[in-house]
Amino acid sequence: MFRRLFSNSLSQVKTRRMTTTQAPTASFSRKWRGAALAYLLVAPPLLLMVLLIFIPALQSIARTLTISVDGVPGFSLSRYTAFFSDPISVNNLIFTFQVTLLTLAAIFVVCFPLALYLRFSSGRIASIVQILALFPLFVPGIILCYALIRFLGTRGTLDTVLSLIGITGYRTPYLKPDAIIIGLVWEAIPFTVLVLTAGLRQVSDSLIESARDVGADDWTIFRRIILPLIARPALIAFSLNFLGIFGSYTIPYLLGPAAPQMMGVFMQQTFGQYRRPDEAETQAVITFIICAFIGFLYVRTVARQRITHEKDE
Amino acid sequence: MATLDLIGLTKRFGSVTAVDTVDLTVADGEFMCILGPSGCGKSTLLRMIAGFEMPTEGDIRIGGESVTPLGANKRPTAMVFQKYTLWPHMRVFDNIAFGLQLRRLPRAEIARKVEEALALVSLSGYEGRFPSQLSGGQQQRVALARALVLEPKILLLDEPFSSLDAILRVRLREELRRIQRRLKITAIFVTHDQEEALTLADRIAVMNSGRVEQLAAPTQIYDNPATLFVADFIGAMNLLTAQVRGGQIALDGVALDAPDGVRDGAVTVAIRPEDLALLPDGDHAGAWRASVEQISDLGHYRRAILETPSGMIKIYLPKTAAAEEGSAVSAFVRRYLVYQDGAPPREVTRPLPAQALTV
Ligand SMILES: Nc1ncnc2c1ncn2[C@@H]1O[C@H](COP(=O)(O)OP(=O)(O)OP(=O)(O)O)[C@@H](O)[C@H]1O
Ligand SMILES: [Mg+2]
Repeated sequence: MFRRLFSNSLSQVKTRRMTTTQAPTASFSRKWRGAALAYLLVAPPLLLMVLLIFIPALQSIARTLTISVDGVPGFSLSRYTAFFSDPISVNNLIFTFQVTLLTLAAIFVVCFPLALYLRFSSGRIASIVQILALFPLFVPGIILCYALIRFLGTRGTLDTVLSLIGITGYRTPYLKPDAIIIGLVWEAIPFTVLVLTAGLRQVSDSLIESARDVGADDWTIFRRIILPLIARPALIAFSLNFLGIFGSYTIPYLLGPAAPQMMGVFMQQTFGQYRRPDEAETQAVITFIICAFIGFLYVRTVARQRITHEKDE
Repeated sequence: MATLDLIGLTKRFGSVTAVDTVDLTVADGEFMCILGPSGCGKSTLLRMIAGFEMPTEGDIRIGGESVTPLGANKRPTAMVFQKYTLWPHMRVFDNIAFGLQLRRLPRAEIARKVEEALALVSLSGYEGRFPSQLSGGQQQRVALARALVLEPKILLLDEPFSSLDAILRVRLREELRRIQRRLKITAIFVTHDQEEALTLADRIAVMNSGRVEQLAAPTQIYDNPATLFVADFIGAMNLLTAQVRGGQIALDGVALDAPDGVRDGAVTVAIRPEDLALLPDGDHAGAWRASVEQISDLGHYRRAILETPSGMIKIYLPKTAAAEEGSAVSAFVRRYLVYQDGAPPREVTRPLPAQALTV
């Protein structure tokens, strides 16, 4: 949008410059007025971003890389070597990766069939499913957590129902990694289904019917036509979910085990309970760098999509 | 390269009957056009033949064998869609090769067949392009190549050129006809463009609300429309309702002979604009006294609107015809069709009087 704003004002400048030869000063000032307006509009949010996000982030990174010896600051990786030689920290990082990747896998296992169903069917049941898939959007995380505890916990709803029908020996996932995954998947369903369904709607019926026409069965159509055509939306859903899950706090804190911990919980504990802000900062920078890499993948995917779209038009 | 038989084919969507007991036989190597207004069931009929829709009733036979229980991927048919037909993530080569790969043909044979198919649609050398790098016409030619490369028994086309501009449309349909003749493939072409149907088809099936109203060669459809719907739908036609009394059709301002077999009562008279001729102003038997309301020069002929006691009548005149807007003339009916009670029309032709202004 900003780009359009800029190019509009620039092209206006060009046409004006060509037409108004008698009044060069007027056109000159107008040219600058247009451009200045565009910059003026982007300046406040840009300034806020720099002040509130980039500068503190850079400061943090810089602080984790310096150490004061006798009051003289100098470059050092010692905070990072401390992190990576501490088994608990490393364990928590690995645990965070494991939970994130397992959750992502579970999200796609749940959401792909849902999105396919919503794309290829219509009618009452489909709209009910659509509403159900969007429902988690309206439930705050903390409420979800307590609902899950009441439902999945020992002597919770599920346990009670199972023992009523004669199944005993229920072992609750509560306070185990499984509960984190269940909670995170639940929370990610609406967004993922929305993105995947939107991607699937771009695949027109005639593309699928043409494939069936030349002899492809359902599985071949899914693998050779549908999957490649929604690879990009899927990658976008993947990276945005990754960011949300990797840095998640509420769900792992309320539903997960005391150890190992996900990075969000770990950071909060290091900072709040153990009162070690330096270590918490290091943990935060490591988390930030991993997320920044995934963020980069996301930006690249979106940028590439825009380029191909512009070429199509 | 096979005959196609549709037997009592019916498709209902809930309460809507999209296709209503259609019986149709397409001969081996025939080019059949299905023509009709929007929503008359053309696409549904074609999609049942292709296997995308299950018939509610009836049977589809290709080469004498029923294919009704088979899915689209098992039928010896190939379809060309109206638009969005090529898979955008595959190059032209892979678009055409996809069906061959599914049939596990050897690599070299696939390459040879793709090359032949591309040559057939005059697109050799385009193998490496993506669909987004082709024009609309080129995309539809690739879609045609993709359908033909599988050597289907029946080629199905659902308004394949309707999203292209007029000049390209004419060029591509001529090319399609040439290819179809060369391969001697049985083809069914759905269109709502009557010019397209009249120029392409061996036979035309004119559909109206799910039924085939007439199945005949283009000239016969034009000269002898079997029903009033066809008469009105194909070409330009003056349709006039009148009463028959004592062997005469009493139109306002003129009386025409009622043909044998027409009883007293209501009839509709159908007159093609080219079946009218101008006579000098005056009273002539079987002619209206009229005034020229409007004249348009349309290149090789002129179209005039006449005001007659029976209302506005359209007439085609040779370029040389001397007629001016506002002048008084007489309009002589040389040939007309009489429709009564849904029975086949009765045709009457009359010799042109000597004093005709135009021939
Ligand atoms: N999947 C469907 N569900 C419900 N009704 C349908 C479906 N497909 C077609 N119809 C209905 O069946 C009738 C015939 O549709 P069809 O698409 O065959 O018409 P058509 O002759 O191809 O029209 P057009 O020239 O506009 O393409 C229409 O009334 C349409 O609304
Ligand atoms: Mg149609």
